[in-house]
Amino acid sequence: MKYTLKYTFSLLLILCSLTINAQEITNAETTTAKDTISPKIERFGLRVGVDLFKLSRSFYEKNYKGIEFVGDYRLTKRYFVAAEIGNENKTQDEDRENFTTKGTYIKAGFDYNAYENWLGMHNMIYLGLRYGVSSFSQTLNSYKIYNPTTNFPEQGVIQSGEKFNGLSAQWVEVVAGVKAEIFTNLYVGFSLRLNRIVSNKQPNNFENLYFPGFNRTYSGDFGAGFNYTVSYFIPLYKTTTKIKETKKKK
Amino acid sequence: MKKIILFLVFISLLGCEKDDICDETQSVTPRVIIEFYDASQPSILKNVTNLEVHTENEIDTTVVFTGVSKIKLPLNPILQTTTYTLKLNSTIVASANTDVLTFNYATKQLYVSRACGFKNVYELNTSNGVIRTDGTINDGFWIQDFDVITNKINNEDEVHIKIYF
Repeated sequence: MKYTLKYTFSLLLILCSLTINAQEITNAETTTAKDTISPKIERFGLRVGVDLFKLSRSFYEKNYKGIEFVGDYRLTKRYFVAAEIGNENKTQDEDRENFTTKGTYIKAGFDYNAYENWLGMHNMIYLGLRYGVSSFSQTLNSYKIYNPTTNFPEQGVIQSGEKFNGLSAQWVEVVAGVKAEIFTNLYVGFSLRLNRIVSNKQPNNFENLYFPGFNRTYSGDFGAGFNYTVSYFIPLYKTTTKIKETKKKK
Repeated sequence: MKKIILFLVFISLLGCEKDDICDETQSVTPRVIIEFYDASQPSILKNVTNLEVHTENEIDTTVVFTGVSKIKLPLNPILQTTTYTLKLNSTIVASANTDVLTFNYATKQLYVSRACGFKNVYELNTSNGVIRTDGTINDGFWIQDFDVITNKINNEDEVHIKIYF
């Protein structure tokens, strides 16, 4: 919870700085746009990056190791094919059980850029959809027995170490996020995600309380997550569209 | 601006945590449910009077039941056997009668939920699940007969053992 708050604030800060940044550039662009009518260049290519949140969390959180690579490819003016691939190893200490989840996931889908860029800008405010698949194992390290009877000595914490292999889950994810070009071809972005489980192969005599790519599952079938990415855009080709001059004639 | 509001909604969702409290009635380790019936009319429930139930374990426990036809006895989760001494009419020395019930069982841990953790379930042995013996004083059996309804002690919703006296 403490961390969630931290991230919320840092995210808000980034969001604010992004909007301010955009304002400044647009002002500059409008003045130049008035002077000369230059053709609008649309860049197409592949963008690859890494989730800094998972990466940094691996350093400061003892019980967590994870990495996520992100990528998208611009298909049309507004649509991007997008995917995330990642690996997580997390040990969670609950009140009554302690378990380790290990596994890999892939999410694939598309992003729709709802942001109308000014000339020369390549930023995104987007909505997207993903389908996620995760393959993982759960290890039940220890657990407690719920037994309020006081007649007999307590069993205490039972060390188990039982491993459940070959588990999998699938889910759909709604994404909302921003990507801003801070230097040429270098992007910083974050996205918020709401997930819903489609299928979930549960272990025998335990439960998938958490699984890679989805996060914890015990708030019903819904989950939430986010990422904070740095990515690099590899331009492959460009198209130029002339700006319509009808408006100018009037 | 709309977008920012949308993001704030998303963020607020991140902070939500379901109050996951263990529901005791559904998830406790079950006790053995014993119901008492009239030996002459086996379908009619009969109340016990001053039934003193005692178990000798690390913590000695004595409970007296009176005016009830149903009792719940916990099993020792660490051992595979639990012995209960049942003394009927315990207050009157002349008519007091002691019988001993020994339960032999296997214990299994069953996952309940995140908030509850696990619970114990027991399975009474098929051959010697419940054994009736007389007390230290040979005063005969007050428990004339008993039936093991189910040898799976999984919950407290059903009666596991019926005793006729």
